[in-house]
Amino acid sequence: MLKKYKLLYVAVLYLFIHILITPLQLKAEPPDIKPWFNQAVLLKTYQQSYDWRIPWEKGEITTQTGMGLVVSLPKSPKSLSSETLQSKKLYLMTTAELVANATLIEATRKDIRLPFQAKLMRMDFAANLALIEINDAKFWNELKPLEIFPVKSSVNYESKSIYSLNIKSPDEWDFESGTIERMAVGHREKSDAWIPTLKISGLSKSRHGYPVLQDNKTVGMILDSGRSGAKAMPAGMLLEFLQRSGSDKFQSLTHRGFRWRRPPQGSITDYFGIPEDKSGILISQVLPHGTGSDVLKAGDYLTRIGKWRLTHDGKINHPNWGLALYDLLFLDQYKAGDSVELSVIRKRKPVILHTKVTTYGNDGHLVPLKRVGYSPRYIIQGGFLFQELTIDYLSIWGKNWRTRAPLRLRLFLEQNKTVMIPGKDNNEKKSVLNKKNPKHQSRVVLVTQVIPDAINIGYQNLSNAVVLKINDQSIHSLIDVSEAFLKPKNEFHRIDFLPGSERMSVVLPEEKLEESNQRIKNNYRIPKMFSL
Amino acid sequence: MKPTTKDQGSGFLIHEGFILTNAHVVSDSRMLLVNKLSSPNPFLADVVAIAHDSDLALLKVRDPDFYKNLTPLELGGVPELQSRVRAYGYPVGGHELSRTEGVVSRIEFGTYIHPGIDSHLLIQTDSAINPGNSGGPVTQSGQAIGVAFQSNLSLNDVGYFIPVPLIKRFLVDIKDGIYDGVPEIGIETSSLINQHHRKYLGLPENSGGILVERIVPFSSAEGVLQSGDVLTKIEDLHIDAAGMANYVEQQVAFYIEAENRQIGDSLKLQVWRNGNFENLTLKLKAPPFGEEMRNSYDKRPEYLIFGGLVFIALNRNYIHSPGNLLPPLAYEHWYREVERPNTRRQQVVILTHVLPASVNSGYTNLHNFIVSSLNHEPVNSLAHLDQMLKKMPRETVHVVFESKWRSLPLVLNFTESLEQHNLILKRYGIEESSYIVNKNH
Repeated sequence: MLKKYKLLYVAVLYLFIHILITPLQLKAEPPDIKPWFNQAVLLKTYQQSYDWRIPWEKGEITTQTGMGLVVSLPKSPKSLSSETLQSKKLYLMTTAELVANATLIEATRKDIRLPFQAKLMRMDFAANLALIEINDAKFWNELKPLEIFPVKSSVNYESKSIYSLNIKSPDEWDFESGTIERMAVGHREKSDAWIPTLKISGLSKSRHGYPVLQDNKTVGMILDSGRSGAKAMPAGMLLEFLQRSGSDKFQSLTHRGFRWRRPPQGSITDYFGIPEDKSGILISQVLPHGTGSDVLKAGDYLTRIGKWRLTHDGKINHPNWGLALYDLLFLDQYKAGDSVELSVIRKRKPVILHTKVTTYGNDGHLVPLKRVGYSPRYIIQGGFLFQELTIDYLSIWGKNWRTRAPLRLRLFLEQNKTVMIPGKDNNEKKSVLNKKNPKHQSRVVLVTQVIPDAINIGYQNLSNAVVLKINDQSIHSLIDVSEAFLKPKNEFHRIDFLPGSERMSVVLPEEKLEESNQRIKNNYRIPKMFSL
Repeated sequence: MKPTTKDQGSGFLIHEGFILTNAHVVSDSRMLLVNKLSSPNPFLADVVAIAHDSDLALLKVRDPDFYKNLTPLELGGVPELQSRVRAYGYPVGGHELSRTEGVVSRIEFGTYIHPGIDSHLLIQTDSAINPGNSGGPVTQSGQAIGVAFQSNLSLNDVGYFIPVPLIKRFLVDIKDGIYDGVPEIGIETSSLINQHHRKYLGLPENSGGILVERIVPFSSAEGVLQSGDVLTKIEDLHIDAAGMANYVEQQVAFYIEAENRQIGDSLKLQVWRNGNFENLTLKLKAPPFGEEMRNSYDKRPEYLIFGGLVFIALNRNYIHSPGNLLPPLAYEHWYREVERPNTRRQQVVILTHVLPASVNSGYTNLHNFIVSSLNHEPVNSLAHLDQMLKKMPRETVHVVFESKWRSLPLVLNFTESLEQHNLILKRYGIEESSYIVNKNH
């Protein structure tokens, strides 16, 4: 008998402890699915990117599926409130990845099985967001724009619990539940951009463009999902994207223009002039673009961005997310063009720097970042295929191109970080300007391959050679190449390559060049001998 | 101390009691044992001479009894293509001699894997050459015509042996007791197969010749050859438009005339320059690149520790170790001298890692930091850095290491670095704070 009571006592105690240590897993009731039949549609895209190895051709056709959320653009571009999203014209919002390089976008409503053809209206590849439109009024009949609400970030588990759609088949729509783990600022490698994302666990079926629901309200959109969970764009960024999409001059997301590190400790803080009583971060590199790149210097000790004080970890006390990386300020608290004060300690003196919040951009990169929707630029002369070095080109070495692409080509990426190759030209800003054509950015021009022809016998093993000069003219872009070929010397065109290339010089006879170009065009069925 | 390993190779008696084998068979050896055919008794041997650039070594067994009943192999010549050869050795160890037969399938220049950077004449055979065969003789008509040394694992039945001319060059080179190395002309060339290029240079028809595109600074060619010269003849060998010359009835790279000679020898050249043929003579020198460009053997790594920061001179072994083949290191190691010859430095000093201590707090994750200057003075070598640190005035407050590859310098407190020096060495079990052989920078 005593033993029986003892067992009961242990069981009650265990239950009590279990309740104490287990968070209350209260999940809200699943939302009503029916309104979603009028607020979301299925998307299927057929994508075909360019083959950067053979830049006049396109690669394989691939298909992807995802979802488009029905949205309208804000009436007032200044307001970000979801209440202003009441314009009559409707669009579908989804991820840029789903529609990048799409040759056909099909949108299918739950109640109409016939797909409608959609077209891209806006794309922010850096932020992975896109807006598409459909001109057939039948498609929009009875569809209603979503209302987007800010994410609740309180710490209790109820508000962290979310739902997303689970499309088992075109007819069978359901919900699945998940949990917001945290708000993070993540690096999107494809676009080299820092974007805020909600890290969500528990979702297994969600795909591009699926909604994230919290308390039955849309608070985000899934960007992608994998084994480690899903990543979603939070409401604030979605609303900002819609606002930017409505303006005449579409701009990409705002972005910082510097790299930083934790301040050093100990007695060497005085070398950098870092005061003990002020927390902040040490600017380690100034990027060629982004907020602050025009006023900051490496070695500045950044203590505040506007009214926001920085910790040694680069965090600020965010109004919604508590301690969060300062990048969130540029992403959800500041808009492009806003004035911002940067408080720094420079050479031991406090200085207030005034700058404008700027958008993410390609300007300043010696090796341009991945671009979608643009055909590759190239010139063919005498079988020499001239291309500019880009991330798209480097990507031909596959998913692991950062370790597999030729070392010498990867070395140019160092200049994207503004750290120049040491030497007499070691000037961060000047080196990215094209001295010959100041309107154009300086690029690295390569002979990526030699298309075999009688004119180039003996040169055909040349590949990925960096072009220094053509006819004694320095080459910094494909425009320079086309101009240099107008000025042969002594009836020959001479091309000089960077020492260390397979060979350092080649020549093409002017009198035979046109004939050779025509022959190559016909033999290899090349539609155009140049694309600029 | 890391665990020792043991490895086996082959070798053969040449003359006067010497055993010829590959450098890679005996490199880094702490004890060398030689076994005779079918004998279980090992004999202690010593390395008399070693040539890492051509993967050859000469051994001598300490006990004269070893040589009883042994007959040296005579060295032959360069075999003809398709002629039959035999390879002897001990593939994958074993106690019994293995003998395989094949034919000579190619005679060409190729990279010697052991040094990693040197390219010499090699002979390809389909006779099986496997690990353990290394150092064994390849014979024809009872004479040794080469030393088996490497194979191509990605191809079937492709093995290589070092030809006799390079072996004989090695034996002559070491006669004074010092190995000087294989000389190099020091030029980069491009073929002139393209007829338009030949016309552009105004070359007479059927004149052959290869285009000299770059003169390696401090090389044999510096001051003799010029960029833009067309090299048409080397000694009595005519060079064709692909850079090949007729050598023992084979077309091989024209460098053959240089590599069979000794450092200090003269070499006659004919070039096409400014519309005329000119005859030139150059004196052969060793390759101008430092030892750090080759794989390093039989050498204790040099290093320097200051304030817990571990510095080395960048070298081939380091850059090829996992995770270190990075573009900035590659630029400093390979490309800098080619692209900007005037920026040549003796050595590239890098911080490999940090031994964590309070003096270097905040830098403990730093690695592969290329040191360009110390307190704004350029750093030329590891020995130079060592001297600079030793000569630093006691009143110095900060030690500032700058890198042209990074915007921010690495800064240590000088006094704290000195105070913590012994503590750091003791904490990490390091006996010496530096090991630098040549203190003269």
